[in-house]
Amino acid sequence: MRAYVTTLVESFHDEEEVEIVEASSGFEALKVLPHHKLDAILTDINMPDINGLELVSFIKNHPGYKAIPILVISTESSEEDRKRAEALGAEEYLVKPFAPEDLLDKLRRLLGKPSA
Amino acid sequence: MTKDDDRVKEEFTSEAEELLDALSNDLVEFESQGRNVRPELVNKIFREIHSLKGLAGMLGFVQISELSHNLEDMLDKLRMGKVEISRDLLDLLYDAVDSLNRLVIAIHDPAMEALVDVPKLTSRIHALVSQKAPEQKGDPLAGLEIDEQTRKSLTEYEEHRLVENVKSGRAIYLVEVTFDFSDFDEKLRAITAALSPLGEVISTLPAIDSSGGNGISFRLLYGSDADKAAVIDTAGREANVRSLRTGASAVAPADEAVVAEPGAEEDFTLRSMSRTVRVDIGKLDHVMNIVGELIIEKNHLEGVTRTLQLQNQRMVSHELVKISRNFDRKLNELQKSVIETRMVPIGQIYSKLGRTVRKVARELRKEIDLVLRGEDTELDKMMVEQLTDPLMHIIRNAIDHGIEPPEQRVAAGKPATARVVLNAYQKGNSVVIDVIDDGRGIDPEKVKQVAVKRGLMQPKEQIDLPRACELLFTPGFSTAAEVSEISGRGVGLDVVRKNLQELKGSIDIISDIGKGSTFRIMLPITLAIIQALVVRAGDENFAIPLTSVEESLRIRGREITTVERREVFSLRNFALPLLRLSDAFQVRDGRDTSSPDTKWFIVVTRAGERMVGILVDALVRQQEIVIKSIGDRLKAIPGIAGATEIGENEIILVVDVGSLIDNYGPTARMARSGR
Repeated sequence: MRAYVTTLVESFHDEEEVEIVEASSGFEALKVLPHHKLDAILTDINMPDINGLELVSFIKNHPGYKAIPILVISTESSEEDRKRAEALGAEEYLVKPFAPEDLLDKLRRLLGKPSA
Repeated sequence: MTKDDDRVKEEFTSEAEELLDALSNDLVEFESQGRNVRPELVNKIFREIHSLKGLAGMLGFVQISELSHNLEDMLDKLRMGKVEISRDLLDLLYDAVDSLNRLVIAIHDPAMEALVDVPKLTSRIHALVSQKAPEQKGDPLAGLEIDEQTRKSLTEYEEHRLVENVKSGRAIYLVEVTFDFSDFDEKLRAITAALSPLGEVISTLPAIDSSGGNGISFRLLYGSDADKAAVIDTAGREANVRSLRTGASAVAPADEAVVAEPGAEEDFTLRSMSRTVRVDIGKLDHVMNIVGELIIEKNHLEGVTRTLQLQNQRMVSHELVKISRNFDRKLNELQKSVIETRMVPIGQIYSKLGRTVRKVARELRKEIDLVLRGEDTELDKMMVEQLTDPLMHIIRNAIDHGIEPPEQRVAAGKPATARVVLNAYQKGNSVVIDVIDDGRGIDPEKVKQVAVKRGLMQPKEQIDLPRACELLFTPGFSTAAEVSEISGRGVGLDVVRKNLQELKGSIDIISDIGKGSTFRIMLPITLAIIQALVVRAGDENFAIPLTSVEESLRIRGREITTVERREVFSLRNFALPLLRLSDAFQVRDGRDTSSPDTKWFIVVTRAGERMVGILVDALVRQQEIVIKSIGDRLKAIPGIAGATEIGENEIILVVDVGSLIDNYGPTARMARSGR
């Protein structure tokens, strides 16, 4: 899934200036946060170490990061989790499986760019 | 069909098989945990199905992907406590994994697909999922002093786990820790690992350093039966432990005392974490063949060295001996590591066996507790594959014939549930697999009745246990009153023995009437390259695999005695039956074979529990040999395992001790006594 998303976002690179920072777990995500100035964050809900909701909660309560828009990706079965992500302040939500265009659209919206 | 398609199929099949094997094992564990299945296990099963679905979907195996998708849904609901653990659920899971297995086989053998009914399974899944979930009274978390942010950050699953912990009467703690940013991950993992054996770490919420420093804080929600002092003790002094609710009972009910494995919550992604490479067994066969050829070359080299030594070419031979010794050492290392790469744990087939046992027990209405031991014992991959059928047959046989019906067991003072133990272990260069049942044991008299009916023995003949066991392996023998669907598949134990002999293995029975039987299989660890004793009989050399050799002795003709028209040698008060190799293979022996002064060697060999002394003219040397098949035309000749090249242009036959005893024991006896 991660590789797929990375590839997708990389294709986005052709039309926009995008640099991707990857993290393979919740802990890794926490570790890379201070080292980059991020414009948007994509996260799954089911992750090792800490889950996506906890990550959203951390970011949205952190004075340094709370402005970064977040796109949460998860499975269709977790309607409840979607509500929770929104309650915690996540801007966008995407249900797996999704079409490539959907991801890119949401990403554009997060970055405040008009859709193609 | 393109080559690429084939490769995709091949790769999918092996990965899917691995997942399904793991699933089968997990289901057996799932069943054994009753109604309190560990959440880690449910998660693992969920992830395995999830991986299979992903894999099948990606490669376009529609049926597999559909079925696993539905299963995944059901398992997700199970994780969330929306589906209850029941007999129906377990049966459905077993049937579904069975069908998935068949669908994977169907990729190569489309006939298999007819045996799978995906729509039926799907409707069973739907029926189970739509059953009403257990009613929940009020908010079980009402009494919990949990802060808003922590509660809001729980996923639905984590909330469910919290509820389960509360319901089971565990105390709930909030463990707060603050670490330096540089190594928080290690420290947090260490704390989680320390806490896990005592309870369940339900969630981990990161927060800004609560002490105002540059670090990072975490709030762990932790459910445990331990008291606060114990939790503080485990979490360490830096941790701030707060009790959100005191446990209903200080002591956990016995079935609740589940221990979570550290690190059981693993990576949720499909990324492989293991440091392994998947290799086609054909490629390893090829490497093994090259090693084999090298060994033959090494044998040539040694032959030349010997010749030079005989010709007194000291300088040259001395150098050659040195080179060939070094070469030998390196070759041994290479061979050892190639063999190691081919080794797989026998546990790989245990899961398949578990399924069969369940099925057979259900069909025969017998209650079986299958105990699997020694799953880490390693065997050559090819052997493990070929071992499945014989093992399956022996286990079926044990359940069908060995195990009594529950009523009979109870009447005999035994527990209604029978025990079948599968125990694998290494013994020297062999692997032993015991199939032990606590059934009725083998009654020689009953065996005799059948044997007489089948014309395999005379009514006036005496029978003892060894003879009875031999009869069980005789073609056309079956003790079942009626041929049942289970054992009566047109295959008898004779075929099992033949299959095992093809693997250079043996099978024996140890039995105790009323108490049970043990079927003991012995196999060499690998087939490809073996140590052998090269012997001479008449004008010919033969190789005897060293795994079959117990010892060798030098004797004179006069020490051979005759007991009941059979030649024997008195070996430490044991009458060892003898077999003249030159007689068995009708090799001309120029010596005076009946003179009391003729020198002989006895190679004491063993195939399972049966021993025989092979009489030969001379022992040539011990060496490593590579067994080559001698082709189909000569395959029918019993007593021969194959041929091997032992030196330049010298090809000799390799003796198969098991089949030699089977086939030439009586012949040799008649031939000698006729003189």
